[in-house]
Amino acid sequence: MSKLPTPSERFIQGILPENPVYRQLLGLCPTLAVTNGLKPALTMAVAVGLVLLCANVIVSLIRDLLKPHLRIVIFTLTIATFVTIVDQVLSAYMYQMSKTLGPYIPLIIVNCIIICRCEVCASRQGPLAAAGDAVGQSLGFGLALASIAAVREILGTGMLLGIPMLPAAWPPWVIMVLPPGAFLTFGLLLAGVNWIRAWRTNRPQRGN
Amino acid sequence: MEYLFDIFLIAIGAALINNFVFYYFVGICPFIGVSRQVDMAVGMGSAVTFVMIIAVFISWTVTSLVLVQGAPVSSWVAGFFMSSEQAAKIDLTILAYIVYIFSISSSVQFVEMYMRKFYPPLYKSFGVFLPLITTNCAILFACLTVMSKVVGVENPAEAWDLGRALVLGIFGGLGFTIAIVIMAGIREELDLCDIPVPFRGAAITLIVGGIIAMAFMGFTGVDSGIRTALM
Amino acid sequence: MGKTVKNSSILSRGCFQNSFLAQAWLVIVLAVSFGTALAFVQISLSEVIAANKLDETLTQVPALVWGENAAQYAADINIPLEIIPGTVSVKKGQKTTYYPLYRVSRGKVISGWVVKARGQGYADNIEVLIGVDPDVETITGLFILEQKETPGLGNKITFPAWREQFAGRKTAKPFVVVKEKSTASNTIDTVTGATISSRSVADIVNQTVIDIKGRLTSQTVHTGEGQ
Repeated sequence: MSKLPTPSERFIQGILPENPVYRQLLGLCPTLAVTNGLKPALTMAVAVGLVLLCANVIVSLIRDLLKPHLRIVIFTLTIATFVTIVDQVLSAYMYQMSKTLGPYIPLIIVNCIIICRCEVCASRQGPLAAAGDAVGQSLGFGLALASIAAVREILGTGMLLGIPMLPAAWPPWVIMVLPPGAFLTFGLLLAGVNWIRAWRTNRPQRGN
Repeated sequence: MEYLFDIFLIAIGAALINNFVFYYFVGICPFIGVSRQVDMAVGMGSAVTFVMIIAVFISWTVTSLVLVQGAPVSSWVAGFFMSSEQAAKIDLTILAYIVYIFSISSSVQFVEMYMRKFYPPLYKSFGVFLPLITTNCAILFACLTVMSKVVGVENPAEAWDLGRALVLGIFGGLGFTIAIVIMAGIREELDLCDIPVPFRGAAITLIVGGIIAMAFMGFTGVDSGIRTALM
Repeated sequence: MGKTVKNSSILSRGCFQNSFLAQAWLVIVLAVSFGTALAFVQISLSEVIAANKLDETLTQVPALVWGENAAQYAADINIPLEIIPGTVSVKKGQKTTYYPLYRVSRGKVISGWVVKARGQGYADNIEVLIGVDPDVETITGLFILEQKETPGLGNKITFPAWREQFAGRKTAKPFVVVKEKSTASNTIDTVTGATISSRSVADIVNQTVIDIKGRLTSQTVHTGEGQ
């Protein structure tokens, strides 16, 4: 059995090499739904990050007590609790944002990223590795969401976080902030990422 | 008559106008993963619809009878421990998400057992995708929609009853099935095409999905038009 | 675990029960601790959340009755005003429509009412706050609470420039949305490219005026403690 990655390796892996959205294709529901603006996208990334961190650490602390049959039940219970807490905190202190994000905050419970990381990393390694994994994956998730949201918001409204980025004469591509725009933007960005990866693996090595 | 009319609008709303996949972006993971062949897609869609109906039934029942403020069962039980005014103020909605996800996983377990006993070949063809229905956003989304129409409505007469909730479950699942069957049909054709390498796999599926979402946008405003015409 | 390999259902059921019972204690402990944590969160945050929901509407009320500038002035010099909630229910055939509303008064003088109404828009329901004078003769303000219209098109009904058309208009004749500019007292210019959204808002305002005119009395509001 190969050696399990160290906490810092888990952290680095999560950001780009094992990016949850662009490489593992997990957690696509919020990726398409909340990226019509940069602010909701970043709020969602922070929310997912918090839930992932708490769930990973708790699962990692009780990993020796887990047995096959009730493993998924315990993951689900933990994740649902933390999502409820995050949802309540968001409704209390960022009310308008919680209305914008709507049902997508509770949908974090079934976000494949969190259950996958609990299964793959937290149930097998100590709290430090689990925490590193959680932070790395969340950063990767945030990066992915931000990239899609930036494209959609700039092309769709001409502004980014309220700052106009395009000349006033440019007509906004409203379709970008509507559902089809989400699919198209993500599809094209994913193709771009695949192309970059293929280019990097195929170019002549620099004497490595 | 009003009721049937309302049900009809909820049905076409959930299936076509506000399609779960193309408008609300829920159920995308199986949409990209499973939709390679039409018969797999039909099977997956029917399983999801079936689980959705059971899950929505359980969610509505538990929410209306136990979780909301002043719900019959919780205030009756609390009445043994405290005065009836205090018992009427018991609000258990904070447990809603936990209740929903557990009702979904138990529905999936139930469907799994049922299928294993009565339809073994179908069960085998599903493989690992059947337990994965638990993490299908569409089912939890249907439960959350029912919750938003039952909890915290200003006008108690407008809170959804069981009939409306079940209609949402049935036709939401139907809309999801329509979406993945369309996608599967297109992907069967795409397999014969020469797709550039970066686009192969998920990317081309998403772009085609975007075009279909554009087509579904044509349904916007249909329910408001029908409502204005018939009222 | 060699035992679980055997196919016999009785044997595997026994093992399952064994490990299930041994495991159940962990689930129960977790459930109790998480339940306690959630109860704690609810106790500390539920009032904040309820206040947020109410504030959303209440912060708009003074501006809707007196206009933005006067409301800002009143807030700056701390003029006290009473905002009391109430409801009007109108029965039409089988259906009853509820209008939550707020009576705004300063001292003994009623300044106006703010009514929350909703209706079908182009894409989904539109919820509005309509400010009216005490006799429902004039619209004093309009605010869009919730809408899901097309961004960039129907969305523009939320812009102050469009909503201001309603301020100061008499309610004697129902509002009509027109495409060409007109100076008649009951015409509203449409949002370019979003006639249906504009008409929906006008229809909501018209229907509300019809429904509540003559129904606003001192009995409408919830006076007394605990409301």
